[in-house]
Amino acid sequence: MKHKIGNGKKSACVLIVGSLVVIAFAVNSTNAQKTQNAALAPPVITSAADKAAIQTFESQVKAYVQLRNKVREDAPKLPKKGTPEQIQAYRTALEESLRKARGGAKRGDIFTPEISDYIRRTLKNEFQGKDRKELREIVFETELQGVVLRVNYPYAQSAELSEMPATLLAKLPQSTKELRYRFVGRYMLLVDRESNVIVDFMPEALP
Amino acid sequence: MKRLFKLNFLIVPLLIASLFIPVASQRLNGNSTSKSSATSSLKLSLPLKDGSLRFAVIGDTGSGSSKQSQLGELMFQYRSIFPYEFVLMMGDNLYGSETPKDFEKKFSDPYKKILDSKVKFYATLGNHDLALQVNYANFNMNGKEYYRIKKGSVAFYSLNSNYMDQKQVKWLEDELAKDTSDWKVCFFHHPPYSSAKKHGSDDQLREVVEPIFIKYGVNVVLTGHDHVYERIKPQKGIYYFVSGAGGKLRTGDIESSSPLTEKSYDRDLHFMLFEVAGDQMYFQAISRTGETIDSGVIARTRK
Repeated sequence: MKHKIGNGKKSACVLIVGSLVVIAFAVNSTNAQKTQNAALAPPVITSAADKAAIQTFESQVKAYVQLRNKVREDAPKLPKKGTPEQIQAYRTALEESLRKARGGAKRGDIFTPEISDYIRRTLKNEFQGKDRKELREIVFETELQGVVLRVNYPYAQSAELSEMPATLLAKLPQSTKELRYRFVGRYMLLVDRESNVIVDFMPEALP
Repeated sequence: MKRLFKLNFLIVPLLIASLFIPVASQRLNGNSTSKSSATSSLKLSLPLKDGSLRFAVIGDTGSGSSKQSQLGELMFQYRSIFPYEFVLMMGDNLYGSETPKDFEKKFSDPYKKILDSKVKFYATLGNHDLALQVNYANFNMNGKEYYRIKKGSVAFYSLNSNYMDQKQVKWLEDELAKDTSDWKVCFFHHPPYSSAKKHGSDDQLREVVEPIFIKYGVNVVLTGHDHVYERIKPQKGIYYFVSGAGGKLRTGDIESSSPLTEKSYDRDLHFMLFEVAGDQMYFQAISRTGETIDSGVIARTRK
């Protein structure tokens, strides 16, 4: 009987040790996973005002996308394997139709003062510290002669596009596949991916 | 007798060394082959093995300059001694405006003979490229900013390094996780490692993609952006190339004291040729003037 109890205790011990090893391993690999993706972790929003600003921003973006997709239906169809002529016809039609449909659009419609404030604070945090020197170099090295910022008009084709670092994108309010964040100097832009039209922009986005 | 012994003392090690030197040299330079007749000046350092996968690489091409066309002509000539199946483009496919005439001047004219030979080009987007290039038939992107193609035992991943958002990162991880290909090659515009002075290593991008490459066994990474040629010393088991001078050149841009460089070239435009045979990937970089600027073989160790 004692033997049986002894065996039971031994089994329990083995089970406990085994479980601890498994738990330790799981915790360790979770931590490793976290470490690996830390650069891409979205920021934790604690302020109610920030939450509201982000919600408003997201609903404005959604409204733009709905309008854009409606306009897009009237544009000439662009095949996945198109010709340069088809690409140009599609881009021009989309650009003109968007301008017409958003006739009254002005700077600050989507980048409201509240979300602009949130974005400025977020970017300021990201651009602090010596290790962010590279980040500044990436953003500010872009040659941007000829870029005129005007809502509803395209980003100059002849100008290069600044790279949007993944680590920065992860910290910004999530946009949609139809829109892209861009930097022009210290300005931040929202650009329509296909038509290249500037949907909105905010000054002094970067510290 | 004593003298003979002394002589043997010198000769024997030399003989032993001579047995090894050619092998080492062949490993680095491949089998150099020259063809006669019209292509006699073309030098090939690739083995042309039966059943191998052959492709070319060009980057930062879309200038529309006469030198870009000259390089395109040389690439076409090389096809006669090294029939490559397709061409990978490292981005900046069109500099400046993108009208139909620009597509002609900066792409379809310089590579007309290659296109006419039914060789497919697979592009990736650079910082000078508009998003709708993904819908251009000759770039074979099928409307996608990032995509995977499989050729023989090699899986190629074209990434959009201009906009590495979380959606793309997740896609890459998901695709690589289920990929059982022998070779995994990623190509995109911005180099995670580069010794060029103008741009250099993109640390921000590297921070995100390198752990994924390591985790899922990516073997080779091809990039452009810096208008030079550079083969980087293997980094954490991965081979990185910068091939960004297919149409634009930044002479003297390589930092000569860079600890990253295995081999570099910044004096003329260039293109690259690759041959994959089993566990070996052979490569050759060729300048516009026909000079072989680098060649060698990569053994597949990451499985």
